[in-house]
Amino acid sequence: MAAIELNGVEKSFGDVRALRGVDLTVEEGEVFGFLGPNGAGKSTTINVLLDFVRADSGTARVLGRDAHHDSVAVRERTGVLPEGFGVYSRLSAREHVEFAIDSKETDQNPEQLLERVGLGDAVDRNAGGFSTGMKQRLALAMALVGDPELLVLDEPSSGLDPNGARELREIVREEADDGTTVFFSSHILGQVEAVCDRVGIIRDGELVAVDSIDGLRDTVGSGSTLVVEVESLPDDAVDAVIALEGVDGVTADGNTLRVSCSDDAKTAVIGALEDGGAAVADFETKESSLEELFAAYTEER
Amino acid sequence: MSWRAVAEKDFRDAIRSRWLWALSGLFVLLFSTPGILRFYFGVGDVEGQEAEAAGGIVVLFIHMMKEMTALLVPIIAIVIAYAALTRERETGTMKLLLSLPHDRYEVVFGKLLGRSAVIAIPILVGFAVCGLFLLPAATGFAVGRYVGFAVLTALLGVVFVGISVGISAAANSQRQAMVGTVGTYVGFLAVWNPLTGELAEQSVDLVGSSERSRYLIELFLTLLNPMEAYKTLADSLVFESALQARQAAFGFFLFPDPAAIEALGDDLPIVFTDPFVVVYLLLWLVVPITIGMYVFERRDL
Repeated sequence: MAAIELNGVEKSFGDVRALRGVDLTVEEGEVFGFLGPNGAGKSTTINVLLDFVRADSGTARVLGRDAHHDSVAVRERTGVLPEGFGVYSRLSAREHVEFAIDSKETDQNPEQLLERVGLGDAVDRNAGGFSTGMKQRLALAMALVGDPELLVLDEPSSGLDPNGARELREIVREEADDGTTVFFSSHILGQVEAVCDRVGIIRDGELVAVDSIDGLRDTVGSGSTLVVEVESLPDDAVDAVIALEGVDGVTADGNTLRVSCSDDAKTAVIGALEDGGAAVADFETKESSLEELFAAYTEER
Repeated sequence: MSWRAVAEKDFRDAIRSRWLWALSGLFVLLFSTPGILRFYFGVGDVEGQEAEAAGGIVVLFIHMMKEMTALLVPIIAIVIAYAALTRERETGTMKLLLSLPHDRYEVVFGKLLGRSAVIAIPILVGFAVCGLFLLPAATGFAVGRYVGFAVLTALLGVVFVGISVGISAAANSQRQAMVGTVGTYVGFLAVWNPLTGELAEQSVDLVGSSERSRYLIELFLTLLNPMEAYKTLADSLVFESALQARQAAFGFFLFPDPAAIEALGDDLPIVFTDPFVVVYLLLWLVVPITIGMYVFERRDL
């Protein structure tokens, strides 16, 4: 059974088409990174999963149940760290977690949960005085109540310092090792690549890619960029390089040539340049960064 | 039982704002002042015998209090409850709340209970303390009537909490909820009665109602106003019969309109008896909440 199953989900707010037919399946036990620039439809997708907003068309199923009609049953087994939430400023951290415990009808120790998210020394403080990072930790503690089968984390790293982000990743890993499915959204690829089995990229309300990080790398193009310094650069030499098999693109900037190509083609590129009369002074190989990869998917091409 | 967790959380949150304490103080002061002035300082003294004939000191108390409580309790209930749902939506705590397995109907119902407690408890505390003041001065302390009036006043508060929570659930913004609730209050206070008089007048011109029908129509429409229903039910505690209480709805303070008494006659249809008036009052508790739930259930957050 899939943990999350979206089929042709569409949602408009007035004239704005936030989701234009999203199809997505997240398997049970998977850690899934949901990526996209701000305003691409990440939160709207999550809001449909949680029944905060209702899809105009298409179906959304979570843990085998309809996300709208069976929403309470879905949320009984799901832990949520929502995006853009507020806390009850007059209630303490403990009272927040107790409210989640009462709501989920479980019998857990609020202090242990708060300890786990690093709020052990703020248990009885009013949440009104919390920093963004502390509020984020508090909501994470509430999300962990009842040992959920699915964790939905919407931009969980916002407001967290690097240390907090690392602790968050640890908790995600621990939960995943326990068999929990994790659905993790972010607009920063670096935050998901370390923990996610697969990622999906959304842009303008459409999923443009769903794959593992390695898979995405292959899809975007060859794995690396060859940067070659030459002493002179005859046009013939460039044409010869472009004609080679395994070469996706060549850009020349003065005496610097950037060739994106497959790893196998590197030697052939150097050879072709030498043969074409361009004396190679120096060269290096750069692996295309994931940021470039992400940009390649999310910027207009 | 999800509404219970919501109601408990809401009440806990509300009492932190010191509202409950300030209100309890206010009601104690409000309820006690006329009693103290009247019975300890002899302000507006009437002969003891007259008072006893009418059921003693409690009757005078109810007479003095009901005009003021009919004005004050609704507006305080509105202040307590108009933001019940809009505030959670605007501060983002609604996302935290609905991330937990709560049905939206239960959220509204829980809010109704929580805010009802915030108004009903101070009212009952105020009456209890005031009762202690009145006891020593009592010549005929009619406990039943006194308790009846306390419960009726608490009910008026709960009814206006219901109206406010219903409007809050249906409103798009805090501002809309405020305009809606205050507008409703002003409507009941200043628009309803002139309008019912006018409608009854028109009925004479349009369908040739008899003089009795004219008064019955006006009385019926008047009783649909929750503030008037409250006052006439309070009068039922004062007067010997429901008829006298209904007659008092016409005219000013202790001086009923003789024409109305004449026209109404000795026997009123069943729809003007106390149980029916209680039902009209309760409709204001049920209908706005139901509409509010319906709208809230179908909206995007």
